[in-house]
Amino acid sequence: MSNAIDQTRRMLSLVTYLRERPGAEVAEVARAFGISERELIADLNVLPMCGTSFRGGDLLDIDTDGERIWWHNVDDVAQPLRLAADEATALLVAARAVASLPGLRDRDRQALTRAVVKIENAAGETAEGSARVGVTFEAEGQVFADIDRALSEGRRIWLRYYSHGRGGMTEREVDPIRLLTEGHTYLDGWCRTSEDRRLFRLDRVAEIKVLDEPADPPRLEPRDLSQGLVNPAADDPEVVVEVGPGGRWVAEYYTHDTAEELPDGGLRITLRSSDPSGLRTLALRLGADGRIVRPAPLAEQARAAARAALAGYEAAE
Amino acid sequence: MAIAKAERLMNLALCLMNTRRPLSKRELRESIEAYREAWAQGSEDAFNRMFERDKDDLRELGLVIDVDENTLDGEAGYLARPDRNRLPEIALDAEEAAALSLAAKVWQQARLSGAASGALQKLRAAGVPYTEAPAGTALEPYIPVREAAFEPLLLAARDRRPVSFDYRKAGAAVVEPRSVEPWALECWRGHWYLAGWDRDRGASRVFRLSRIAGKVRSRQGAFTAPVPEHVDVRATVARFAGEGATATATVKVRGGSAYPLRAKALAQRQVDCEWDELEIPYGRGLAADLSEYGADVVVLAPQELRAELIERLRAVAGPAVRAGVVEGEQA
Repeated sequence: MSNAIDQTRRMLSLVTYLRERPGAEVAEVARAFGISERELIADLNVLPMCGTSFRGGDLLDIDTDGERIWWHNVDDVAQPLRLAADEATALLVAARAVASLPGLRDRDRQALTRAVVKIENAAGETAEGSARVGVTFEAEGQVFADIDRALSEGRRIWLRYYSHGRGGMTEREVDPIRLLTEGHTYLDGWCRTSEDRRLFRLDRVAEIKVLDEPADPPRLEPRDLSQGLVNPAADDPEVVVEVGPGGRWVAEYYTHDTAEELPDGGLRITLRSSDPSGLRTLALRLGADGRIVRPAPLAEQARAAARAALAGYEAAE
Repeated sequence: MAIAKAERLMNLALCLMNTRRPLSKRELRESIEAYREAWAQGSEDAFNRMFERDKDDLRELGLVIDVDENTLDGEAGYLARPDRNRLPEIALDAEEAAALSLAAKVWQQARLSGAASGALQKLRAAGVPYTEAPAGTALEPYIPVREAAFEPLLLAARDRRPVSFDYRKAGAAVVEPRSVEPWALECWRGHWYLAGWDRDRGASRVFRLSRIAGKVRSRQGAFTAPVPEHVDVRATVARFAGEGATATATVKVRGGSAYPLRAKALAQRQVDCEWDELEIPYGRGLAADLSEYGADVVVLAPQELRAELIERLRAVAGPAVRAGVVEGEQA
């Protein structure tokens, strides 16, 4: 995914980089620039077409044998360039957000905080725009620290975990894989109790113990996060929910297949869930703003749950 | 074959950076092969548009291009002065550089992730050490950006340009046009919000990006209202989300259930072997939160919360009641 803008940006830095490092290794340069060797070679094929004057003939004489890179007519044009406004914003906003993560190790936080100050100084007024974007992560300090320790020591953990869908506490043994933060912080782990990969939201962990047993999660692909954390499987059961205008938020919070507009400003949302009974709580939350249409047994479960809850009020009257 | 855009931009940048005197458009046209081609094959107009776009692109990349009179022919000339374009000395140690590399990876949005890696490349080119990401840290924070409105609003807030868009308020059946001076964007609990001046309402407002329908349009002119020194989007959003409650509610909770309520309880005591009584913060949206617990939670006080909960539960229990609009969360 290398568009012309990103490639130009990269090539400008590349000439600065190469100027200071005659005979730089292709593999090393690609790593430093966070690109593949193929992308780097593509850049190196463009650079000899570039120069300060086409007619004067002073093109950049940069070539490579595939292993090392040489620049034969190094000149002064390749000075380190100031940061663009977007670059300063992207870097500073990200660094400030990560530095505010409660679970970050102190040493990393201090390093990041020092780096932010240095970047702010170097960017000068270019950094001002970064104050217009903010990101807040939430994470639960102690739980986070314990999981972080379990991960670095490769150990299994025991959790008392609140399962929102089921509305109750569960006890599980989990082999942690990694921690993810998107708004809330989640543990991606292999649940030994259910023999399945699960996400656990840290603020729903009531109790945690790091066990002596080593963690032994199966080899798993990293999650594809581009569509959000929860990606229902194609064969998960389908649920249809109809909401009024006040329930449109369902389409924002739940990954869904379709959301059809209804004449009253509401939506008919079709989604899939590996655990449809968990959607009972959604129906309860919606109140008059929506209802589960299908499957019928799930709709009935929601009504029954509401009737049971109402009984609690009648008994107390 | 037409010369690739990156090659053309690179040549323009090198010409502008390497000149001591302003270069006129004509000189640049004659120096850069891609421009010569465009000139030979197209119209003057086409070349001019290309040249203007290219300058804008280079400025987006951070290049400061000055416009001065070309001493030879008196026309406008362009140059990128070294002193205005140099990155000041920056000394990051290996630990700081590694922490920064990790942070630069959090963007899940093309423009900002490209900009963050571009920034790192500039820093590394300037001599900042490159170290592999520190081993052992398994935390992967990332910043989701799924809202199409994000990029246009980011640019508008950056350049202080007013915008207009169609917005659907929470619980509203229809969208309505809004005209806004965008101040700041904030991501909270994984969702993006915009704070700005709502021109029609003559007041500051917070908008949730996912509720913007259709395109964000740029408007002519400058901001009309002063931009506050400090814009606290988060506090506003948190208030709507029920944080920062000022009142309290008393609820009865079945033993062992409703952990999230217990976690935020101000006080709790056991009533009998089946029930505990909790005192919890009472803010916006509490009734909706409580209704999720079904029969595990009974509201004791205040009366209006109790009544709201009963009404919500009746709506779910009743025979397919789907009545009118209930006031939902806002913003």
